[in-house]
Amino acid sequence: MTATTMTSPDRRPGPGRATPELGTTRREARSRGERTAYVRLELRRTVRDLVTMFFVVGLPAFMYVLFGASAGYSQENAGNGNVALYVMISMAAYGAVTATVGIGGTAAVERMQGWGRQLGLTPLRDGTYVATKAVVALVVAALPILVVYVLGVLTGAEGTATAWLGSAAILVVGAVMFALYGLVFGLAFRSESAVTAAGGSLVVLGFLGNIFFPLSGILLDIARFTPLYGYVSLARYPLTEGHVVDSQGGLVHEALWMSVTNVAVWTGIFAVLATWLVRRSRGRQ
Amino acid sequence: MTHHDSPAVELTALTKSFPGRAGAVQAVRGIDLTVDRGEVVAFLGPNGAGKTTTLDLVLGLTSPTSGGVRVLGQSPRDAVRAGRVSAVLQTGGLLRDLTVRETVELIASTYAVHAPVDDVLRRANLTTVTSRKVSKCSGGEQQRLRFALALLPDPELLILDEPTAGMDVSARHTFWDSMHAEAAAGRTILFATHYLEEADSFAGRIVLVAGGRVVADGPTDVIRGRALGRTVAARLDLDLVDAAVSHLRSLAAVHEVRVDRDRLTVTTSDSDAVARALLNGLAARDLEVTTGSLESAFLALTGTTDTASEGAAA
Repeated sequence: MTATTMTSPDRRPGPGRATPELGTTRREARSRGERTAYVRLELRRTVRDLVTMFFVVGLPAFMYVLFGASAGYSQENAGNGNVALYVMISMAAYGAVTATVGIGGTAAVERMQGWGRQLGLTPLRDGTYVATKAVVALVVAALPILVVYVLGVLTGAEGTATAWLGSAAILVVGAVMFALYGLVFGLAFRSESAVTAAGGSLVVLGFLGNIFFPLSGILLDIARFTPLYGYVSLARYPLTEGHVVDSQGGLVHEALWMSVTNVAVWTGIFAVLATWLVRRSRGRQ
Repeated sequence: MTHHDSPAVELTALTKSFPGRAGAVQAVRGIDLTVDRGEVVAFLGPNGAGKTTTLDLVLGLTSPTSGGVRVLGQSPRDAVRAGRVSAVLQTGGLLRDLTVRETVELIASTYAVHAPVDDVLRRANLTTVTSRKVSKCSGGEQQRLRFALALLPDPELLILDEPTAGMDVSARHTFWDSMHAEAAAGRTILFATHYLEEADSFAGRIVLVAGGRVVADGPTDVIRGRALGRTVAARLDLDLVDAAVSHLRSLAAVHEVRVDRDRLTVTTSDSDAVARALLNGLAARDLEVTTGSLESAFLALTGTTDTASEGAAA
């Protein structure tokens, strides 16, 4: 009785049997290309670069705690939220652009140092390569925003849902324009140190961008024309609705179109420069 | 179209020039070449002969100034996209902060179908260093990694540009051993080198290039004889010269006899036999035996002095 019940499944022909596979023996084993592997490996590469990660995530988080969370004015009103939220947005912006400048710059340098030739031997199209790098840039830019915003939640940053989510969305998307900024540096100077210099220049642009402390007077007038200023003021718009605190504690109002124009013009300038530099390097091949 | 009968590589009147400060530099000056499927061909020439530029054209990394390139019956770019041709480049950059395995996985992800990662790592002899960072790999290991990447699409045509540059002797042996296995599997292999020994021991056919042109093309043993030959020079009595020339030309080991009044210059693969004949039977004087360098062999083969010494961009 027991013997028959145990052997009966074997007599049944079915998909579980080994014979159908034997007929389809292949000359060589083949694997499917994993579409997401490129993005995954690029992300792993970036995240394990601890020096970069310090400047992208560690420094902005530290500066937020120092100038935002633990400052005496942190609970004062800043429109649709408090000053802590205002500082939080600024520091997250600095981390996000540091990330994208690095990614744009290294992309240019690694392509010119021969990786481009290696990729030229694969079916990868230029458009796919750019899209891959853009996805990596977006994800890495989201990291400091996430970390600083979580710190904000824990340390008393307050604001409306629009102020939180709107600013975060603008920060992530807007950071991509700085990937172009890094790309321009990488294409123009063709070395890793140029990419580091591009990252360093963000400190200067950060001061001019009204990120680290409030500007006023003529410096504020000049600052309005610098690229980080437009990006940060746009990201703060859901919080402040255009109000800017100057260094004397006074309030200045700015129309939305000013930030939008700033971002649009600088994105255009970086895109034109990058395109021109790519053409120049192609001509030398 | 399936292109199953078309040759692996077909170059017709191919030229390529680059803009330079002092006018255009012509790297390739009109190359006609057909490589049939299953052949193992060495592209042999001195630095600056135009080898790398020609291979770049075959791979679609650059486009010709004039002339045509067909790879397996397709345009180079289409053949690359289809994974039918791949290459080990001389200066193919690698990302220094990735590991060996990650690099293979990254390139594998660009193909719709590819050979399994573990498989190519084994075939390229990299199984012991899979988790090593590229920056920590030796020159030979990096070159084997480029080879592993080239194996990923299971290509019909494999192109190698100076594949053993920077390798020591044992690494070179290991590399060519693994290449023998690939050739035995029926792949067409076209490789550039400036080492005559490599061309000699691995290729069935040698295409000799200098100054952006093909200067000799034939089975390896024939080209080797001409390129590796020694030169025996000697002075004879004037009345013996004609008889000496016809005798020497009848010897199988003699490639060429040149006469300058009473001085004979004989290019041969057996300098001992020629020297013996000259000294014993012909009372030759001032006998000299010299081994020609590859460069001088090129000069001898082209019969001109300008092509090789001009040194067009590689």
